[in-house]
Amino acid sequence: MSLALSCLIPLYIVAIVLYAVRVLKGPTVSDRVLAVDALGFDLAAFLTILSVLFRAPIMVTTALVLALWIYALDIYVAKYLESKEMGD
Amino acid sequence: MLWETVCSVVGLILVAVGAFCDIAAAIGINRFPNFFVRLHAATVGAIGGAVVPTFGAGLIALGSPELGNYRFFVAGVSFTTGLMIMILGQAGAHALARATLKAKAAPLEPCVHNALREREEVRGE
Repeated sequence: MSLALSCLIPLYIVAIVLYAVRVLKGPTVSDRVLAVDALGFDLAAFLTILSVLFRAPIMVTTALVLALWIYALDIYVAKYLESKEMGD
Repeated sequence: MLWETVCSVVGLILVAVGAFCDIAAAIGINRFPNFFVRLHAATVGAIGGAVVPTFGAGLIALGSPELGNYRFFVAGVSFTTGLMIMILGQAGAHALARATLKAKAAPLEPCVHNALREREEVRGE
């Protein structure tokens, strides 16, 4: 099982690098936020897989928090784009 | 036991499917022409590339006795995270798309069919 999981890990790393390329390329703010969005959710999944692979249960809690923060980023940027304020 | 093996194998298949969807989404997000088309790639990456492997990791955790009692903790948090990403990924992408369209923050072309513009033109007549 661990061997099979280890073979899949590089694919996730390649996907993370490709998302990071789009974060750098842009060209618009929305593109960058969308790429960070996909990158963040991908990292959350990656963390759950690593927590099983490394037998470190504490890592999986960070995945949940990361997923919630990525959603917050989306909403903040959408709110700023639409009404030029972030809500106090 | 048998159910542990079944959980592990099904989980591994889900993680493999997730890896494929992730690579496809990452290529798509780099190759598609504009923001609104890239939204499709990003949501494939969010659902196929994040929710499916998260559920897979939860199943693998359930099927691995080496984790001891922590496997139920890891499986529970994994399924919760997967459910959260399933709901929040789409809501966040929609909010971002709506705001981008309203603020004209990204180019619309190339655009095959713009139903919103048609509806506005019909309403304008």
